Amino acid sequence: MRLSRAWDNRFEAMARAGRIGRWYSAVGNEATTIGTTLCLDAGDAISTVHRDLGAVLTQYLDVNRLAPSLFGEGDRTAWDAIRPDAQPLLDRLACQVFGRRDGFTVGHDRSFHYGLVKPEWGIRHVGMISHLGSMIPVAAGLALAAVQDGTKAVVLGFIGEGATSQGDFHEALNLVGVMKLPMVLVVENNQYAFSTPLDEQYACAKLSDKAPGYGIAGETVDGTDFEAVWSAMSRAVARARSGQGGTLLECMLPRMRGHAEGDGSYDLIPQAERERFLAMDPLPRFEQRLAALGLTDDARTAEVTRVATEIIESTVERAIAAPEPDASEAWRSVFAPGEIADAFARQQSEVNHG
Amino acid sequence: MAETTYIDAIRRALLEEMERDANVFLMGQDIARFGGAFRATKGLYERFGRLRVVNTPLFESGTIGAALGAALAGKRPVLEMQFADFVSCGFNQIVNNLAKTWYRWEAPVPVVIRLPYGGGVGAGPFHSQSPEAWFAHTPGLAVVAPSTPREALGMMKAAIRDPNPVIYLEHRVLYRREKEDLPDGELLTPLGRARVAREGRDVTILTYGWTVHEALDAAAEAAKEGVAVEVIDLRTLVPLDEETVFASVKKIGKVVVVHEATATAGYGAELVARIA
Ligand SMILES: Cc1ncc(C[n+]2csc(CCOP(=O)(O)OP(=O)(O)O)c2C)c(N)n1
Ligand SMILES: [Mg+2]
Repeated sequence: MRLSRAWDNRFEAMARAGRIGRWYSAVGNEATTIGTTLCLDAGDAISTVHRDLGAVLTQYLDVNRLAPSLFGEGDRTAWDAIRPDAQPLLDRLACQVFGRRDGFTVGHDRSFHYGLVKPEWGIRHVGMISHLGSMIPVAAGLALAAVQDGTKAVVLGFIGEGATSQGDFHEALNLVGVMKLPMVLVVENNQYAFSTPLDEQYACAKLSDKAPGYGIAGETVDGTDFEAVWSAMSRAVARARSGQGGTLLECMLPRMRGHAEGDGSYDLIPQAERERFLAMDPLPRFEQRLAALGLTDDARTAEVTRVATEIIESTVERAIAAPEPDASEAWRSVFAPGEIADAFARQQSEVNHG
Repeated sequence: MAETTYIDAIRRALLEEMERDANVFLMGQDIARFGGAFRATKGLYERFGRLRVVNTPLFESGTIGAALGAALAGKRPVLEMQFADFVSCGFNQIVNNLAKTWYRWEAPVPVVIRLPYGGGVGAGPFHSQSPEAWFAHTPGLAVVAPSTPREALGMMKAAIRDPNPVIYLEHRVLYRREKEDLPDGELLTPLGRARVAREGRDVTILTYGWTVHEALDAAAEAAKEGVAVEVIDLRTLVPLDEETVFASVKKIGKVVVVHEATATAGYGAELVARIA
């Protein structure tokens, strides 16, 4: 959670300084994105949108290898045994977000619009397209393939509360219900969509009230309460894995930042509400809880924050210094290699030289 | 050898590919026990079961999006739109998701979308459209329109095996009207290659799908008056086989473009622009 927060803080600062175009902050979403993704196993799939950095880091990284000073042998999981070295993967992620050559899209995009499917690492991540809601049926399709193959894999999809108004939300959850697909859709309900508040977005009391209409399980939890998120997600994963079907898990979140850094949308939120939101930060809450359980203390909490910040600082510096995309990459074919791509290449050469 | 109709050729292709590759599966409305609105999938549910002949709820966007997800998990879905007209309800999934997946992160998405299209059967404005231009306009989609049973078979098999999304236009007038003897064994038609359906020297007709037959009929009529019409069956609209098209145009120098779709900003306008 501290790693995700450090990343956001760094990118927010760069956005404010005009060094990057936009930044959609995930500050406040960490207990939800990380608490849910931690319930998954190697081979499960995630489908993320724009405030899900925490889910991506959780699925990709072997944190023991990333920050050996903070962890011991006992912290390693079976999944970590097949995960790749964490720092190079983190570097690629940073290069992706900076549009560098070494990013996942070799510079074609400068965002979370990509995917990383590496079954040998236990990683199956499908990133978003800009059209919100469009990935929910895709996540359902990953779940359908899991049923067809009998793999017992579970799919975790994320969506903001605004995008639940899309038709694809309805179509996908209907399919999950009808086919009993092993999918959990987590709604990150931060109570605003760009500038639009909840009462202009939907008229039900809770979004999880929609679940019975699809014949799936539904639950609403405090998305800043790591343990509440984790236990609701554990239940949902258990249902999905045992063939009992999908869950709509609504996580209530405070909007701790505007829509995009510096776009003025935060000013629309009344001052008193903003203060209430900012006081709901999930990180100190979780740290206090861990301290109460005797699992951490002030010194260790400070050390975790320091190490996380240091890792992000050096990662970002390397990404900034990393090479720009190769110009030849701009001509990447829109077709995957095969008969059609060959025909397209012939047509292109006619256009260029014919 | 067996006399095979166009629709039976499609079914044969589906059957052969499903037997060849366990990752090939079908999705669509009423395609399981009922065998589809035009019976293209008749008998396949009984053979392959409900996880490979997936009857969906009445939606298009959900089907196409789910097919993309399944393709990312290694599947090769073949989708039936009940009528081509209804594909508009899944337009976003095709043009923004399916078409751009390879470009944005180089993940192959082998999804075939079958579109029973076209008029001529008295079905009215919402069951008769020819939507090829919508998809020909979108980078990342192959668009094919086989005109004979042999090509319906060979192009379906090739489309299923290709790693790209393919829009497969099947004209409903052809379904039961076109029949031919097809040999057993593997029949594949290369994608991206046009076919000279009739050789001539006086004028070239460029066409595809059902109107190939109209053009051949017209050519036979014209021959009676001593006019030798060359008919090019494009077969694949995107990518266009410019080699074959340009060769005919250069040879003869007179061209007629024939299609059934709307004239304004249609695929014909693209053909005319390319050869101009
Ligand atoms: C289909 C579509 N329409 C509009 C937009 C523009 N847009 C981008 S983010 C956003 C708000 C999203 O709100 P929500 O789903 O609640 O997510 P949040 O940003 O609050 O996390 C909008 C309207 C879009 N990306 N996609
Ligand atoms: Mg929101």
